[in-house]
Amino acid sequence: MRGFKKSMWLLAIVILTGLWAVSPALAEDKPHYGGVLRVALAGDPPSLDMHQEQTFMVTIPMSTVYNTLVMFDPHQYPKIIGDLAQAWTVSEDGMTWTFTLHQGVKFHDGSELTSADVKASWDKIVFPPEGVVSTRKSLYQMVKSIEAPERYTVVFRLHYPAASFLSMLAHPANFIYAKKYLDQDINWYKTHAMGTGPFKLQEYVRGASLEFKRNPDYWKKGLPYLDGAKYFIIPDTGARAKSVRAERTDVEFRGFAPVEVEAITAQMGDKVTAAHSGQPAHWGIAINVDKKPFDDARVRQALSLALDRYEMVKTLGPLTGLDTIAGPMPPGTPWTLSPEELQTLPGFGKDHEANLREAKRLLAEAGYPNGFQTVLTNRAVKLPYIDFGVYVVSAWKKIGVEAEHKLEESATWSKSRVTRDFELLVDPFGFAAEGDPDEVMVKFTSSSPSNWGRFKDPVVDQLFERQKVERDAQKRAQLVHDMQKRVMDQAWEIVGLWWTRVEVRSARIHNYEPLPSHWMNRRLEDVWLSAR
Amino acid sequence: MAIATRPARPVERPQALPKHHFWGAIGKFVRTKPLGAAGAAIIVLMALTAVCADLIAPYDVYEINQQLQFTPPSLAHWLGTDEFGRDVLTRIIYGARIALFIGLVSSFLGATGGAVIGVFSAYLGGKTDLWIQRLMDILLAFPLLVLALAIVTVLGRSIPNLIVAIAIPVIPRTARIVRASALTAKENVYVEAARAVGSSHLRVMWRHIVPNVMAPFLIVLTAQLGSAILTEASLSFLGLGTAEPTPSWGLMLSGGAPMYAEKAPWLAIFPGLAISLAVFGFNLFGDSLRDALDPKLRHRT
Repeated sequence: MRGFKKSMWLLAIVILTGLWAVSPALAEDKPHYGGVLRVALAGDPPSLDMHQEQTFMVTIPMSTVYNTLVMFDPHQYPKIIGDLAQAWTVSEDGMTWTFTLHQGVKFHDGSELTSADVKASWDKIVFPPEGVVSTRKSLYQMVKSIEAPERYTVVFRLHYPAASFLSMLAHPANFIYAKKYLDQDINWYKTHAMGTGPFKLQEYVRGASLEFKRNPDYWKKGLPYLDGAKYFIIPDTGARAKSVRAERTDVEFRGFAPVEVEAITAQMGDKVTAAHSGQPAHWGIAINVDKKPFDDARVRQALSLALDRYEMVKTLGPLTGLDTIAGPMPPGTPWTLSPEELQTLPGFGKDHEANLREAKRLLAEAGYPNGFQTVLTNRAVKLPYIDFGVYVVSAWKKIGVEAEHKLEESATWSKSRVTRDFELLVDPFGFAAEGDPDEVMVKFTSSSPSNWGRFKDPVVDQLFERQKVERDAQKRAQLVHDMQKRVMDQAWEIVGLWWTRVEVRSARIHNYEPLPSHWMNRRLEDVWLSAR
Repeated sequence: MAIATRPARPVERPQALPKHHFWGAIGKFVRTKPLGAAGAAIIVLMALTAVCADLIAPYDVYEINQQLQFTPPSLAHWLGTDEFGRDVLTRIIYGARIALFIGLVSSFLGATGGAVIGVFSAYLGGKTDLWIQRLMDILLAFPLLVLALAIVTVLGRSIPNLIVAIAIPVIPRTARIVRASALTAKENVYVEAARAVGSSHLRVMWRHIVPNVMAPFLIVLTAQLGSAILTEASLSFLGLGTAEPTPSWGLMLSGGAPMYAEKAPWLAIFPGLAISLAVFGFNLFGDSLRDALDPKLRHRT
């Protein structure tokens, strides 16, 4: 009997020890309330109104304060699920979309969200009044009108049955604001933050940090898990990387260069996860066609021919993450130009010596046998802007084009784009929704606000118009291919390289995966932190 | 009657300085002031490098070379290559040209402006002197770099603006020293005599005051040259001076150097050394020049 008792005790001890060892591991899978997520952010938001801004510096912090009508499922991209919309229906002809909203959703000021707020916010985005900027409004050119017939019902009527409509609606920048404040002052949201989201803006110290705290009355019960989030403004790339390495911040939401990623993962091992989340953006060069000699296609083609993309990718890839060659549509989709198609376009042929000769010949033909002087306006951000600019400026010297590399602070560079105060401009473009041609290619149409060079090519416009209503996927893909080839053949915009985003985050962050665009999945409503 | 004309005394013909006298003077300078000579040697080396850059630079300063990214110092590339595969030695050589050009022009402009103000202020005296000095005090209240930063921010980035921004802080510093010497020179009797004879103010200033302030002027000029080079490097480092891919030493320090410091420390070491050496050389030479020309100034800033 004594032997039996002893072995029972032993068994009990083993089981208890086992449970004790295993339970923390089990606990990790269960969301854990508390903690403040610390994020390293590259700069100050120019204003707090996402509708009127174009930079991740607004999207990344401010997404915590608001909801959108629909959104990309953060755990099953690219599936689209409702956010403020509980459900929706589409008419037979695809031209009427009816959304039913959740009830009892409260703004941070206590008032209830109704369809009037959704309508007011969307009217601002699609039909901006005088004095209000809406650079993405071309994405919604299919919208004829927005109605709020009942308290919790919103109806979108379209001009044509656009295949991309729901995807455009799910774009992360479409914050829903309160009508009350928009009526007071349409620009109220530039300096105030008041939404229905899981966090409230507690304090913004310009140049230092943005601090958000948990919204205890968030309409999605049980969320958020975090007590808050703090965004530290650290303009210098090296310093941002060091903040993650020193564990002063938990994550950097835009992306680091491969060199930095190597250094961080080497030092921190398992404490961090580095994810290659996708290729959301492309760096190219916009050309102001109203300034001589850029109205001449031969000059534009020469500028493109002088760039050896295959060499550029090897040089800039490890330094900046600009490591993929493709046309204007992102790599890895049915819209992407094949390598064979690319090689026929100026600057993408494999024989660089021949390209250089052709470039010089074209310049001579256009009347510039000895090249000319110009200015490349660029944003004063090291990665990848400055490095891309340096490569391009150095490459153009070989054909006699002496470009002064003019660096401008973010706000000034933004303004130079809008006011067209440039000859050549380093131009990032990409997607934050799904990368549908309606989102990416609209930039090359003559009426798009983001067609910085303001070129007007009726062939391009027509191809865009045809593809946006084309319901047959294959025919649409062909039209999109043709449109890209036309833009590149005429060198209206100089296509550069696509950027692979590598996001580095602390292993303490759970229930979160980075999506292709650094604008996405920034609400943090169901993200949780494990204890240190 | 023939009058014999014969000079009362044999006329002495002025003797040309014997050639060895010039080298003798240099030799004396080297022996008595070895540090100053070292400084002068550095300056001469830098000037030669800047002037003969095209001849001595081993590689092209802008050529990007993917295969050579981040090569450490080796026989082929004495100072290694940077993140774009460009030869660091070549960029330092051309950097000397930018540093010297901007440094020389801006300190010369500033020092000349300051000297003119100093002479006028001292000569005219009274209320004018008072007001000018207060204005100089206001400018002097700002640290040199802060003032230059403010000016570039207002004027915008470009090489001419950079030169102006670096020149302006030099003006009050020169004016103060030149004014002190000018005040002393003003007390000389011949100045009063010249005025009595009817010389205009300008003529008096030019012929009698200015020659007496040349020594302090030259001393301040050489001292400010080193400072101007450092200011240009600082402004480029802060992102307000020249822009990539221009090879400025300050820019080389701020570009890839901090980011790649662990991977490629030579990117930071050599431009830093170049800046230090240049400023050091000018300071040493300036000090010795001051000692040689006017020991009284030793205790002034």
